[in-house]
Amino acid sequence: MIKIHDLDVDVGEFHLRDINIEIKKGEYFVILGPTGSGKTVLVECMAGIHNPCKGEIWFNDGNVTLLTPEERETGYVPQDYVLFPHLNALENIQFGLKIKNHSKKEIEKRVGEVTNRLNIKNILYRQNPKTLSGGEKQRVALARALIIKPRLLILDEPLSALDPRTHEELQRELKRIHKEIKTTTIHVTHDFEEAISLGDRIAVMNNGKIIQIGTPDEIFRKPKTESVAKFVGAENLFKGKVIYSDNGKGISRIRIHGMDTNIFSLTEKVGAVYVSIHPEDIVLSEAVCKCYNDKNILKGKIVNIMDKGSLVRIIVDVSIPLTVLLTRRAYLETELKKGSEIYVIFKAMNVHVF
Amino acid sequence: MNVFNGIFGERIFKAATLSALIFFILFLVGIVVSMICYISSDRFISILFSKEIIFAIKLSLITATIAVLISVAIGIPAAYALSQTEFWGKDIIDTILDLPIVISPIALGAALLIFFSTPIGSGIEEHGIKFVFVIPGIILAQFVVVSALCIRLMKSTFDAIGSRYEDVARTLGCNKFQAFFKVTLPLAKNGLLAAGILTWARAIGEFGATVTLAGATAMKTETLPIAIFLSLASADVEKAIAVILILIIISITSLFAIRKIAGSGWSI
Repeated sequence: MIKIHDLDVDVGEFHLRDINIEIKKGEYFVILGPTGSGKTVLVECMAGIHNPCKGEIWFNDGNVTLLTPEERETGYVPQDYVLFPHLNALENIQFGLKIKNHSKKEIEKRVGEVTNRLNIKNILYRQNPKTLSGGEKQRVALARALIIKPRLLILDEPLSALDPRTHEELQRELKRIHKEIKTTTIHVTHDFEEAISLGDRIAVMNNGKIIQIGTPDEIFRKPKTESVAKFVGAENLFKGKVIYSDNGKGISRIRIHGMDTNIFSLTEKVGAVYVSIHPEDIVLSEAVCKCYNDKNILKGKIVNIMDKGSLVRIIVDVSIPLTVLLTRRAYLETELKKGSEIYVIFKAMNVHVF
Repeated sequence: MNVFNGIFGERIFKAATLSALIFFILFLVGIVVSMICYISSDRFISILFSKEIIFAIKLSLITATIAVLISVAIGIPAAYALSQTEFWGKDIIDTILDLPIVISPIALGAALLIFFSTPIGSGIEEHGIKFVFVIPGIILAQFVVVSALCIRLMKSTFDAIGSRYEDVARTLGCNKFQAFFKVTLPLAKNGLLAAGILTWARAIGEFGATVTLAGATAMKTETLPIAIFLSLASADVEKAIAVILILIIISITSLFAIRKIAGSGWSI
């Protein structure tokens, strides 16, 4: 288990404050945040490259805050790979074992394991690592980190610099490798799709602070603050005010800021709030029947239809613009077009208030 | 219409900049050629193999090599510290380091000479190594003039490598020493070698500080630049030219060696 307790770090222009994270053994933990949020500084601090000015880092039962990088046994794969240019791919991979004076036999065995796992047997003797492709460099850097059997594997934006196809391929492989070896892993990214698909849990970071930690579902469905919601791309995000709350029944009414639109939710919050409704939780209907017991039924007009391949994005103006997602098939079965009048329906429990 | 617009203007610009360059090169080549014309090749060979010039060549090569070895031995760690370590007063040290590069060598030589007449300096002279007007003085004078240059050049090599390679090496289990010797030093090798050669070439040509501290005694403290000085003082122009040509040959060889080394390195 990795534990970061009340960490403050100052490196150059980056100032990390009050970082508290607990990572379970074997967990795939994603740190998600925009460029410049301090993610790299945080993970480099865990690797021992930077020293915190306050707080503690624990690996299992040992306080590693004051330990140097070589005493921490983290496998660090930097964003720009940092392969040693004076060594070929194989020598790069062997580096950590040779430093520790492992036997030739052991080195050979472990190189065999790791290169099989990463599928890089054919590039091992390429003289200059500069001639490797981005994906190959990434695999070599990953092999170099994995071969030392690290207590913690740190991947800094491992997929960002790759072309889309390699990106997808390596993403699948990261998932498979983690399943196979179960090394506790921290993966830094600014790409939330990458974060959902890989992370057991996600920490959202911005401006040197951890804003929210949770499972992908929690982060994407219940963003804690507006900045998280914005960053993870939550749509249908509005400012509002709770104008009536009946905690007995658990239903509260929220007036959207500057509009006379009212939305019902199950929140117990009062005062100014943010409201977000996931596009996939909204149903469109041409008529309203009594069979709906959903609280929120709003009448509006379709203002835009955007074809996004397998999904169709429909913007309905119900005095506030609501985005609704339909599958292509569902869309084709309707006769919706721009200007159609329509009802949007969603459950009060699907209204996320924060 | 402005004549400097378009392709015509581009050509004028190119012609103007190139002609400045060509003028400068012709100027240098002209000087060398006029010297070569002044002296016959027989005369050149006989001067080259004269006892005095052989001595001067040997003395120059040996003293410059020792001065550079000392500069490198101190320069590598010093340049590394200046490049990779953060410490208080770094800017001040950085500025001080430029001083021996810009200050007149004769001033440095004079300062050394004066130092050796102080109680501490004369103590060193009497009980340690003698420097004033002897060969160790040549080495010391060259060292003082070139060592800062050496550190500067080496620092830029370490700057180019940066700290990332060592950071990663350390996560892979290297201690600080291993990270330096297994990663940074091999990566810096060519840059350091080039810095050493350039420093050496500069040491070979050193005159001002050498003549002030070690004096200009024929066959005793006579390096190549001092040989030129002595030849001119005795109005032996041919001898002066022969030595100048020797110096030019040594310099050009060094510069080509640096080019070759710099071109063969790993791109960082």
